[in-house]
Amino acid sequence: MIQLNDICKSFKETEVLRSLNLNVKKGEMFVLLGSSGCGKTTTLSIIAGLIREDRGDIYVDGSRINDVPPHKRGIGFVFQNYALFPHLNVYENVEFSLKARHKQKNNRNEVKRALELVGLDGFDNKNPMKLSGGEQQRVALARALVTEPECILMDEPLSNLDAMVRERLRYEMKQLQKDVGLTTIYVTHDQVEAMMLGDRIAVLNNGQTEEVGTPEKIFYKPQREFVARFIGMKNIFNGKITTLDEEGGVMQISTENFELTTVLIPSGEGTHVKACVRPEEIILMKSDQKTSARNEIAGRIITIFPNGPLMRVLVDVGGDEISVDITRLATRDLELKKGDKVILKFKATSVHVIM
Amino acid sequence: MFEQRFHFMHQNSFFHILISLIAGIYFGFIAAIIACLLTETSLGEFIDNIKSPEILSSIIISLETSIAVVILALIFGIPVAYLLATRRFTGRIILDTLIDLPIISPPLVCGLAILIAFGGHGLFSHFDVIFTIKGIIIAQLFVASPFLIRSARIAFESIDQDILTAARTLGASEFYTFRKVSLPLARNGIISGIIMTWARALGEFGATAMVAGCIPYKTETMTIGIYMHALSGNLDASVALSLLLIVSAFATLIVFKYLGRYNDPIK
Repeated sequence: MIQLNDICKSFKETEVLRSLNLNVKKGEMFVLLGSSGCGKTTTLSIIAGLIREDRGDIYVDGSRINDVPPHKRGIGFVFQNYALFPHLNVYENVEFSLKARHKQKNNRNEVKRALELVGLDGFDNKNPMKLSGGEQQRVALARALVTEPECILMDEPLSNLDAMVRERLRYEMKQLQKDVGLTTIYVTHDQVEAMMLGDRIAVLNNGQTEEVGTPEKIFYKPQREFVARFIGMKNIFNGKITTLDEEGGVMQISTENFELTTVLIPSGEGTHVKACVRPEEIILMKSDQKTSARNEIAGRIITIFPNGPLMRVLVDVGGDEISVDITRLATRDLELKKGDKVILKFKATSVHVIM
Repeated sequence: MFEQRFHFMHQNSFFHILISLIAGIYFGFIAAIIACLLTETSLGEFIDNIKSPEILSSIIISLETSIAVVILALIFGIPVAYLLATRRFTGRIILDTLIDLPIISPPLVCGLAILIAFGGHGLFSHFDVIFTIKGIIIAQLFVASPFLIRSARIAFESIDQDILTAARTLGASEFYTFRKVSLPLARNGIISGIIMTWARALGEFGATAMVAGCIPYKTETMTIGIYMHALSGNLDASVALSLLLIVSAFATLIVFKYLGRYNDPIK
């Protein structure tokens, strides 16, 4: 549906996009995830025609749109700061694009339907500047939807909202997007948002796509070390495959300080790999108890600190650090403190290997 | 008397007393001068003077020319202001400076330049404007239109770029966006520019006198009238015209500030 081929863009000396490729399918919610300055917003602006690319081609439904001006591309845009027209009321804001396109007939019904869709019926005569942030973003959404665009681009639309509103609007937007079947490209730096919203996610780094995949793949089986680090896989270790146990379906990886057992993947002995374990997949115990976990590493607690709703325990394992997430209650029950000797256990399936 | 903006600004501090004192001296000085003008005449005298045919004629000439100047300044100034606010091109700084030049230079110099351009062997000498109403309009336009352009340009520049971008993504052409978004949002800046330009045109003296001379009933504007009557010893007529100018300027500014405060679409 939307295809970017080898898009390059520099601002003065700074290369923002270096040969970026994307392929967005019809009807999907496609998330561009990356830290600030990675080129997310520039990518959206180029798709919308607000910025001219230096090189590369943009296709919508197979036709090249590089030379189509922004107001004829039929692509909706939702901004982080809503960008509502302050001199128009809610109804007029939504009606704007219909008038601009000289569609006079049935305006009233279309505007009404768009406002109903975002849950703002009855807000017609309100001054948008007097609405809450969440309501303003709904107006912006209705304003973009009313044109029935081919595709809608959203540039961190929820990042100016407080956490509660953000969560609700995120859920509603996902529902709406599914119901309408609208192709959406959604830019965010928030992994949780990307995970919740995206049908597919592209992780951008330095003006290029690092990896594209389903949330499941990106978050649990990333193929690139950058992606693994970006999505918060804390424990990433360089290692070498030592033994392959074809019958047992496992293999051994030896890192500088410890041995790991992982699920067998097709490879050869001696291959250098990166082994990752998510902090929440690790069981922490003070004395050795029998479990089915294949991996067992002894270490000493360096520090404990709150990490969102969980507690993060940093454990020194002979020179390397392993992060473990456990509940607050467990920290208290185990009476964990700095300097305690602990044993870390995790399953072979919990170790993700990046070749 | 003073409404404090922040609680840590103490009204009894030395600094507070100092700035209040300085402000007091400043406003006292200005008010005293205006008061002198006001007490120079009585209402009866004022009305009698205004009703004299020469003064009435100068009022009409001033109104006609200044209104023509505002209209011309709008026709040329709004596109120029929009161009300077939205486009980046080489030579933009030169154009920008050119606009500021008439604001900074003495009006006499502007008048002389116009006189040379339109008179004798000048580039535009086949236009008959010297010593005519047209000459007054050209002189006033030259000196006063930069105020509108500056004010409108700042107003266009201060519109949130995302709002204009949003209009484009919603299918609006640049012209439609200009009419339906930029102009309404720049409205206050444009109105304030109109008022400044109009006031400047109404008060223009130096350039007008150079270009149009001081011909009673033909090119005598209010300000030229004030000068002529004062020179010829008819101070009462000068005072009447001056009062009319000052009071109407004060009234216009008050109305504008009131409108600006209560009619701001953003607030």
